Amino acid sequence: MSVIAERKRGVVAKTWLLTRKDMTIEARGRETLPAMVAFSFAVTLLLAFSLPPDVVVSSEVELGVGTVPLTDVLAGFLWVTVLFAGLIGFARAFEVERAEGALDPLFLAPVDRAGLFASKAIANFVSLVAMEICLVPLFALLFGVNLGGRWFVFIFVMALVDLGFVMIGTLFSALAAQTRSRELMLPILALPILVPIFIAATELTGDLFAGGGVTTVASRGWFGILVASDIVFAVIGALAFEFAVER
Amino acid sequence: MIELSGVRVVYGRTIALDAVDLRIDEGVTGLFGPNGSGKSTLLRAIAGLQRPVRGTITFDGRLRDPSDLSLRRRIGYAGHEIGLYGRLSVEENISLFAALCDAGPGRVADVIAAVGLTDRAASRVDELSAGLQRRAAVARAIVHDPDILLLDEPFATLDDEAADLITDAIKAWRGPGKIAVVATHGAKRLKSFADSSVVLRRGLVASDRQRETVVMP
Repeated sequence: MSVIAERKRGVVAKTWLLTRKDMTIEARGRETLPAMVAFSFAVTLLLAFSLPPDVVVSSEVELGVGTVPLTDVLAGFLWVTVLFAGLIGFARAFEVERAEGALDPLFLAPVDRAGLFASKAIANFVSLVAMEICLVPLFALLFGVNLGGRWFVFIFVMALVDLGFVMIGTLFSALAAQTRSRELMLPILALPILVPIFIAATELTGDLFAGGGVTTVASRGWFGILVASDIVFAVIGALAFEFAVER
Repeated sequence: MIELSGVRVVYGRTIALDAVDLRIDEGVTGLFGPNGSGKSTLLRAIAGLQRPVRGTITFDGRLRDPSDLSLRRRIGYAGHEIGLYGRLSVEENISLFAALCDAGPGRVADVIAAVGLTDRAASRVDELSAGLQRRAAVARAIVHDPDILLLDEPFATLDDEAADLITDAIKAWRGPGKIAVVATHGAKRLKSFADSSVVLRRGLVASDRQRETVVMP
């Protein structure tokens, strides 16, 4: 039996070690976040050119038959951009391990799979939020979005969306990392499950862009779906990760 | 003691291991065989990285359970690939795995010295030659002083001096109750200290001998 000095660490300490490792590697390599930001900027710029130059984001415009509010369209623009930029980042979540063959020693280390899942999810969450911090001001500038004092509600909605998105993205990125066509597999696996989250995100953000506040958002059924999705996906992610990394 | 009984591992339609019955006792076991004979697969199956479709693997009579953290803690594994993070330094890599495997921090410098990488400890792994990376991989595998050490071609890409360091590190690690399985093409180096040998051919055990009778291939 082992005779060396042991220093037992709990799952939280090991999760933090792994998260810090991922962040250190990203800080040194700068591969994932710049790609996510560049993609989100390019898409947002392209979408900005798809609208006439004199459109106004307002809730007071009368809608004709067969038309939709611009606020809903903009919410869709925002979340489609976040969705695909996020998937770019998540697809690389296990790339650093896969490229160096570090998946084996990592999976073999006596780390609870839930801790490993949490570390990757936290790292993905940080990347996603960093991308959104870059994207949202540009989006607001290009599309003339002014949320006034409702920014905190918007940030809260974003955080809820990001949580669910990260849980599913992390789980399926682990599955996809072990397949040959991993770049294709992640969106194929994750998108159908992400649909409810992003519909809810678009609906709630549309309300906010149209002048709604906390009470509007909280009274919508979509808010409940978002909260429930986060809880369900967090539990599923932590439990299913063991099977996702099983070979 | 590790015991494999009727182990069969397949990759798609390829049978990598078939009906492997093997008992591996304490000491160093050399695992030999030509390319594609199943050496790496056997190590991966023992490590729990590859699930057999048939058969059982037991450790001291206990069935191998991949979710058993205490069993994972007992295993040190260095596969074909280096299994280290290129953008982290040697020391950062070894420290990370030491911490994950509950090894004390004082152990890191010792294993880095044991594989002769003290002067390169601060170097990033992706800046090292293949041979130096291989040495770092072995240091990572032994940093938590595992009871079971599984090494896949640990001498590949090493010059004689570096191979001697790895050999010394394995010799220093060995002890009562410890089991090492070392897969290699080069039988000569292992011959000096292996206690037994297993030869695989086309996924089958071609021979399984103790040191007294072993004829290295």
